[in-house]
Amino acid sequence: MKTKIKGPKDFWAGVMFIAFGVFFVIWALTHYQMGTAVRMGPAYFPAVLGGLLAFLGTLVLLESFVMRGGALTLPFNIVDMAVALAIFAVVMYLAKVFGASMDYAILAATAIVSVLTVLLRPQAKALVLISAACVVYGYLMKPLGLVLATAALVFIGAFGGHEFKWKEVAILFVVLIVFSILVFVKGLTLPFPVCPAFMETCPIR
Amino acid sequence: MEILNNLILGFGVAVTPINLLYALIGVMLGTLIGVLPGIGPVATIAMLLPITFNLNPIAALIMLAGIYYGAQYGGSTTAILVNLPGESASVVTCIDGYQMARQGRAGPALATAAIGSFFAGCVATLIIAVAAPPLAEVALKFGPAEYFSLMVLGLVAATVLAHGSLIKAIAMVVFGLLLGIIGTDVNSGVLRFTFDVPELSDGIGFVVVAMGMFGTAEIIANLEQGEKREVFTAKVGRLMPTKEDFKRAWPAVLRGTALGSFLGILPGGGALLSSFGAYTVEKKLSKYPEQFGKGAIEGVAGPEAANNAGAQTSFIPMLTLGIPGNAVMALMIGALMIQGIAPGPQVMNEKPQLFWGLIASMWVGNAFLVILNLPLIGMWIKLLTVPYRYLYPAILVFMSIGVFSLSNNPFDVLIMAIFGVIGYICVKLECEPAPMILGFILGPLMEENLRRAMLLSRGDPTTFVTKPISAGFIIASVILLVIVALPAIRKKREEAFVEQKT
Repeated sequence: MKTKIKGPKDFWAGVMFIAFGVFFVIWALTHYQMGTAVRMGPAYFPAVLGGLLAFLGTLVLLESFVMRGGALTLPFNIVDMAVALAIFAVVMYLAKVFGASMDYAILAATAIVSVLTVLLRPQAKALVLISAACVVYGYLMKPLGLVLATAALVFIGAFGGHEFKWKEVAILFVVLIVFSILVFVKGLTLPFPVCPAFMETCPIR
Repeated sequence: MEILNNLILGFGVAVTPINLLYALIGVMLGTLIGVLPGIGPVATIAMLLPITFNLNPIAALIMLAGIYYGAQYGGSTTAILVNLPGESASVVTCIDGYQMARQGRAGPALATAAIGSFFAGCVATLIIAVAAPPLAEVALKFGPAEYFSLMVLGLVAATVLAHGSLIKAIAMVVFGLLLGIIGTDVNSGVLRFTFDVPELSDGIGFVVVAMGMFGTAEIIANLEQGEKREVFTAKVGRLMPTKEDFKRAWPAVLRGTALGSFLGILPGGGALLSSFGAYTVEKKLSKYPEQFGKGAIEGVAGPEAANNAGAQTSFIPMLTLGIPGNAVMALMIGALMIQGIAPGPQVMNEKPQLFWGLIASMWVGNAFLVILNLPLIGMWIKLLTVPYRYLYPAILVFMSIGVFSLSNNPFDVLIMAIFGVIGYICVKLECEPAPMILGFILGPLMEENLRRAMLLSRGDPTTFVTKPISAGFIIASVILLVIVALPAIRKKREEAFVEQKT
């Protein structure tokens, strides 16, 4: 007999909770000391909570076979997610093997996933590009400076939206970078590099 | 009249020109970010935290507090005019406030929200002044068992008033507690769940988690829904409510203030919880329940008063116990620590100027807010006509700068992006992120107090129910859980939330 999942949202939420819970229990028990109730070791609290999470997850999972819930609408499926994670894992592993910078590995993997998303899963554009924009901003800040990192963030972020007009986004970028420099660099004196690291003299300091 | 003397001392501090200026800056910023959807007080305060280092502690706290309760005023403007919560606590104001605006009564809705908030703010200030000193006294007697049980109560309260499934809400709390464990174990010095990533040894910053779960996740969700905003800017009309409005709004404001003040004190409470609670209460007590969802003024007055009262009384556990009741209060504790002040019951006696000055400044700030939000409402409305496609890249820039500036490390921005994706998936699976954040904040504190309590009781878990204060908290938690789990009430609660979604 094939049981029917009535609440797909509950089903996947349950699976997620069980996976996290079991992971925390196993990892805690195999890596840290349990201790006793009087002198709790580092594994005690996470192991108990992990077990509780897995138990609650099981309840949610069982509920999904009984209670009817709305349809789950995600712009990607579980295979897409696995592929994206695998890309990150492979690129970062290669960087480790060849002794390349981990920062650039993360940037490269982000770029690959973003391009694949735009080409193959345009419906997940908002999710991937907004996240990618933030990642790129963070990792470009040190080598390329505030101006270029902000440019990357604004253009990639805007591309994740519905309408993309070069002129509008360019004006928006100019406004935001002027504001950022005046308020954050000049006003709040945050220690951000404004210009790329390879430029020897920076006109704005 | 000790309270009077204390308040006089406080006002003496609060009305110095420099502190007035910082209160004004705080409430201005608060209103601004409250009006703008997608950027809330957590992100703003987090961004400003590093610069408070250069201010004196009183000015810094006055400004940061102003941002939090100022955001409650601003959020209602967006909720009423655009049907978007400018700030998460104004979600319920959208329901009836927006309907009032559609009926051409945006003006009275805005005025009711502002006046109700002002009244609630004044009362809450008094409540803090009256309730904080005895609470701090009691708190001095709190041992680890009491702290632990109090936090349990806070977490339970947070799940009970979350939307949707109770089990999922509890699971999210536990998930948050687990994420809070990541980092160095204070007792043994062991690195837990850091997977050899050096940046994780201090744990994940909750600012980073909050910005991802609430910030980027919300932008992504908004972009997927597409832009369908309808702004009632031209039709605000006359501001003053009619006599009839006044008569109906007054009791709602009173009830909202009372409920909000109470829920704010609970750890886990604050503005968000209060507004939801108040809406449910108003709907139940109203003589015209059929009008709810169709522009009932009580549905604006109650929650708006409640969220402002809750925002202010949530300072009580932070100031008297040193427990952060919500993400904003955790940031406030951060601000105190930057200044070298350890939060806890001793702050009131050791730094009376800071304590009473902050409380008095709330009164001052609320007065500023009424002026900012009623006569100057036109300025904020203009802001709302800016399309989202200009707004969200700006919000992204501010969030990324804020997170990056925490430790000048791109890793934090990466974690924010990851939590953005997790937050998005959670919303899709109908798992509320708010209880998770609270669990995440309280996790380390809970573990520490649990371990200490168990050590003191020699491993006897009954210590939590044999100590009277602790037992009180545990019993209250159990009662709350049972009430919500009862089928009849559960159905009512689900109905209330289902209708609110439409």
